[in-house]
Amino acid sequence: MSDPVLDRLAVRFEELLPAGAVITDPVRLRTYECDGLTHHRAMPGIVVLPETAEQVAAAVRLCGEYGVPFVARGSGTGLSGGALPRTDGVLIVTSRMRRILEIDLPNRRAVVEPGVTNLAITEAVREQGYYYAPDPSSQQVCSIGGNVAENAGGAHCLKYGFTVNHILGLEIVTPDGEIVELSALDPGYDLLGAFVGSEGTLGIATKITVRLSRTPEAVTTLLAAFGSIEGGGEAVSAIIAAGIVPAAIEMMDALAVEAAEAAVGCAYPEGAGAVLIVELDGPRAEVEHQFAAVERICRETGAFEIRVAASAEERAAIWKGRKSAFAAVGRISPAYIVQDGVVPRTALPEVLAGIDRLQEEYGIRVANVFHAGDGNLHPLVLFDDAAPGEGERAATVSGRILDLCIEHGGSITGEHGVGVDKSRYMPKMFTEEDLDTMQLVRCAFDPRSLSNPGKVFPTPRLCGEVPGVRKGVHPLVESGRAEQF
Amino acid sequence: MDPELIKDCVHCGFCLPTCPTYVLWGEEMDSPRGRIHLMSQHVEGTPVTPEMAGHFDACLGCMACVTACPSGVRYDRLIEQTRAVVEREHVRAPEERAIRELVFALFPYRRRLRALRLPMRLATRLRPLLERVHPSLGAMAELVPPPARPVRLPPRVHAVGRRRATVGMLVGCVQSQFFPQVNAATARVLALEGCDVVIPPRQGCCGALSLHSGRDARRFAKATIETFERAGVEAVVVNVAGCGSSMKEYAEVLKDEPGGWAERAAALRVRDLAEYLVELGPVAPRHPLPVTVAYHDACHLAHAQGVRSQPRELLRAIPGLELREIAESAVCCGSAGTYNLFQPGPARELGDRKARHVLATRADVLVSANPGCSMQIAAAMRRSGEGEMRVAHTAEVLDASLRGLGARALGGR
Amino acid sequence: MNAATGPGAALAAAGVTIRPAGPDDAVAGVAPRWVALPETTREIAAVMRVSAAHDLAVVVAGAGTTLHWGRPPERCDVLIDTCCLNEILEHEAGDLVVRVQAGVPVETLTEALAAKGQELALDPPLAGGTVGGLLAAGLAGPRAFRYGTARDLLIGITVVLADGTIAKAGGKVVKNVAGYDLGKLFTGSYGTLGVIADATFRLHPLPAARACVVWSGPTLDEILAAVPAVTASQAEPSAVELDRPAPDGPRAVAVLVEGAAAAERARAVRDLLGGEARIADEPPRWWGRLPEPGFVEPGGPSGGGGVLLEIRTVPSRLPGLFAGALARTDAAVRGSLASAVLRVALPAETDPAAAAAFVSALRAELADEGRVVVLSAPEPVARRVDLWGHVGGLALMRRIKDRFDPDRRMSPGRFVGGI
Repeated sequence: MSDPVLDRLAVRFEELLPAGAVITDPVRLRTYECDGLTHHRAMPGIVVLPETAEQVAAAVRLCGEYGVPFVARGSGTGLSGGALPRTDGVLIVTSRMRRILEIDLPNRRAVVEPGVTNLAITEAVREQGYYYAPDPSSQQVCSIGGNVAENAGGAHCLKYGFTVNHILGLEIVTPDGEIVELSALDPGYDLLGAFVGSEGTLGIATKITVRLSRTPEAVTTLLAAFGSIEGGGEAVSAIIAAGIVPAAIEMMDALAVEAAEAAVGCAYPEGAGAVLIVELDGPRAEVEHQFAAVERICRETGAFEIRVAASAEERAAIWKGRKSAFAAVGRISPAYIVQDGVVPRTALPEVLAGIDRLQEEYGIRVANVFHAGDGNLHPLVLFDDAAPGEGERAATVSGRILDLCIEHGGSITGEHGVGVDKSRYMPKMFTEEDLDTMQLVRCAFDPRSLSNPGKVFPTPRLCGEVPGVRKGVHPLVESGRAEQF
Repeated sequence: MDPELIKDCVHCGFCLPTCPTYVLWGEEMDSPRGRIHLMSQHVEGTPVTPEMAGHFDACLGCMACVTACPSGVRYDRLIEQTRAVVEREHVRAPEERAIRELVFALFPYRRRLRALRLPMRLATRLRPLLERVHPSLGAMAELVPPPARPVRLPPRVHAVGRRRATVGMLVGCVQSQFFPQVNAATARVLALEGCDVVIPPRQGCCGALSLHSGRDARRFAKATIETFERAGVEAVVVNVAGCGSSMKEYAEVLKDEPGGWAERAAALRVRDLAEYLVELGPVAPRHPLPVTVAYHDACHLAHAQGVRSQPRELLRAIPGLELREIAESAVCCGSAGTYNLFQPGPARELGDRKARHVLATRADVLVSANPGCSMQIAAAMRRSGEGEMRVAHTAEVLDASLRGLGARALGGR
Repeated sequence: MNAATGPGAALAAAGVTIRPAGPDDAVAGVAPRWVALPETTREIAAVMRVSAAHDLAVVVAGAGTTLHWGRPPERCDVLIDTCCLNEILEHEAGDLVVRVQAGVPVETLTEALAAKGQELALDPPLAGGTVGGLLAAGLAGPRAFRYGTARDLLIGITVVLADGTIAKAGGKVVKNVAGYDLGKLFTGSYGTLGVIADATFRLHPLPAARACVVWSGPTLDEILAAVPAVTASQAEPSAVELDRPAPDGPRAVAVLVEGAAAAERARAVRDLLGGEARIADEPPRWWGRLPEPGFVEPGGPSGGGGVLLEIRTVPSRLPGLFAGALARTDAAVRGSLASAVLRVALPAETDPAAAAAFVSALRAELADEGRVVVLSAPEPVARRVDLWGHVGGLALMRRIKDRFDPDRRMSPGRFVGGI
């Protein structure tokens, strides 16, 4: 099923890229057929592995020349199918662009290539007392380029914000193959802010300047076990009401705890209906002060066991269960769907009760893991793919959880992105006008819709020519020499 | 390739950064996740293509991915099953076949290895020539350490002081020929900690080399089990990471053999030296050893056996010894059993990478629990020309401390 | 044009309060013909639809505090005054989120939030502005070092486009990655993409305590030598501000510490700064205000009449800047030494050529590592300088403008590259 256009394109890529950087063998191509979301699969037409921004730009220009769509991929860990390839297109993989180009501690920044892993940045500066704040659960493997595309979050974004709050500059290859530098220092529209989180639809980041944060003086991690999810939820509300913004507040329900126990033997308290992990960091004096308050609140709201990590090892032990939770669910269920929805924190109890009702209605188990501090739910919908009809029921439950989130004024995704998986929910969250307006941005960057088409937006939209007039000559010259006119 | 084991992989990618070949090449097909995907393609009916076989061959079998995997995928089993399929179904090029036959005819046999030691010293000088004939021959020549004085171990070493246990000791094919002093140190340390050490003189290869290459290891396994059953020991202590990990797999290897072999295998208490010493608890006094040590995690110890903390604990307990961690400690040095012989190119790249990280610790001595690793890293450090480092086995460091020999006693270069 | 079918009549028929414009309504000297006073997002849309049908240029004004920033609009037919869009729409304290209409005065919002023990952690440098103005001008203050700027705290937005389309993006949850973040594009867009109708922000609890370490009188060299240790310290200061009214006048640095144990952390900061620094409960009165040459009174008409610049750079460039171009003029400087954002004011009587030369000198000194934007300048100065300097991605910005406002009717010409 060879495609003559792709065949010709492959020959051009071979001329352009280093040896071994163009993959056309079908057995090899198929290993790229999905990212971290495996139920969407498509064998890419061609895979290329560029090593420089110039090579990325040249590859993108070639795609443009042949009118072939392209998709960027980093480590392939995304959970919304954002890097799902196109069978009629090219997959541009950044895994060979993984140099840390510059570390500039006086200005608290580092310049890296997109294939560098999130954690590698922190590891490069940890000894000097700095770190890169956003910490998605996959931080040891996910690429910073992917983080930029998805605006990755993580457990600690409650206090420190998301990827977009930590990007100081980007070099991007636009969908027409131009290399453009964007800086947070620049006046003008916040293109940096628009690009981060655009899921590869506005181009490919080839160089990324990240903000480095100072390692906090003190970190305290507390694990509290509650009889029920409600008890844990009450503690979360009380902590926020006390004016405390912890670095992270994570909650797991009994089923999620059971999975984590099976996978990594995290030894969380037995019989817990919910486990709450609260991490406080900052100046020692402040942390001590807040810790006392958090501990008191947990006791008052009914925690039956509280553990405090006294060392980095103990902290890692507490986090181990939480960080492994997604993959760990594989131990207690043959198959599962990881959902990602957000609700206003105050709506959490209602939404969790709603999820309970869905479990009963459909006879499907749901394990709940969530960033409780910001209302970001990660329900894990469990099913047996060998049991007839169960997969469909699980998918229904998963979808109805998103409906619940929307009904309560939340969002269909807090950090995994829309990708190919959730584009059909976009019209539930946004009006036709909202989506058309977003499309204006897309059209400004990528009028031919070649950059990761079919993602984020539910239906393909054509851009058309810009209506109106005054193409070319602007009434004011850039330099501002207005008096010439 | 068991489809049920393949299904356990949820494609999360946590294995990628720990995989040596992914670290080198950044390609999906050369990562554990990609290889599992290739396995599933095969299960679904794709024949073993040369490309596919190449990606399986490129796997070092270091098992770092097994440690990293949060879903508990048994990649170790999968790759062993896969290698057997590749051996069966894939026809290799003639010269590649010849090299493989040579290695498998040589390394599992101590006597053949001994006979080879002299010609190999010669080979070191002939390396450029060998390199041209076949890179694998060049790699073999480069790895050879300086000849060691043969050490003859008695069949039984008696415990010093009160006897606390009777243990068997595996001497290892490569270890006993190229690092006999490590075996001597191991026996002394065990004795000083109160163990009677039984060293069956006619022990053969444990089968590690075959097992890790997809060949039939059952014959080796049965012979080894019989040897140690006859020895009448409570545990078998192994000081070679690769051997220890394969002996711990005997029950799996022999599960379909009639004659209760699986049960017999399970009854054999196989322990790595460090693992055993920590279980036993120290009694012998430690003398100060003022030395800086960089500890290298051998893959077959750290990943295959999960023994990471014990050697560090033992080293830290030595007064005056400073322990330093090596960056990227979870990534393989490229030795990986026969890997540096069959895949000399990537093995060399990984060796260079590891050597850089080891030299960066500026330690006095590099300590590891696998002779293959020591040879590989020492060769890479020599090659780099940026400095060398003494190399020692954990047993030698303990021996030096227990006997109060001082730091100078440790390892040659 | 026929009065019955002309734009005036159409506006009057739109169901929105319209009044004819007076001389006080001029935008940087450009007089509109009508002033529209919409009360709802739909009313804004009605005004925009009429404007689209009649090719009317539209400028949006809140309190007008930054209306003279940027270039004067090329034309202005309708001025949309947001004064009647003055409702706080939603404030769920437990969610630490607020949704407000664009015309709500910042001070009003601050009071309402404080009543619930919360705040929007932005400190606009001008008193009297509205939320919409704050967003459109992308204003931030000293605590941006800790909390980020408006774009970092904005989580949702409703806008009305040039053709009357009502669109929203984001939402009312802090964590949300569904769809493009239009809010970021509109923040700091000077009204050139559309009208901001309402905005949703993430809030912070009011700090349990605060303390300010003030060091008055040291030389700039002393300040610049001491500050890096403060910004890098684990005492986590919220802001590090400099006040330098004149090159040879008195100067001061103030470090704000917020949160539990503020006093203790302030002592750590004082120790880093040196013996002469003292700890106060509140920041000094110049804190967070625009620089004014010959400072007269707190809260006065900031930057009035003179040339006002914003320098954005990186901390390592500050010593060179102060030793170079900044040392050679009578400019007043205030701003953050931590985030390296400084505002510089030149006296109104500064010779236009000298002002232009000063701007050029600053840009030359910073080269790639910084930007100098002329926020406002008297006409003779504005004529001689490029207000914006280097703008990365300008071609992309033009394409965005072309898509959002193809007829160039939204504050035309005010923004970068004549957008």
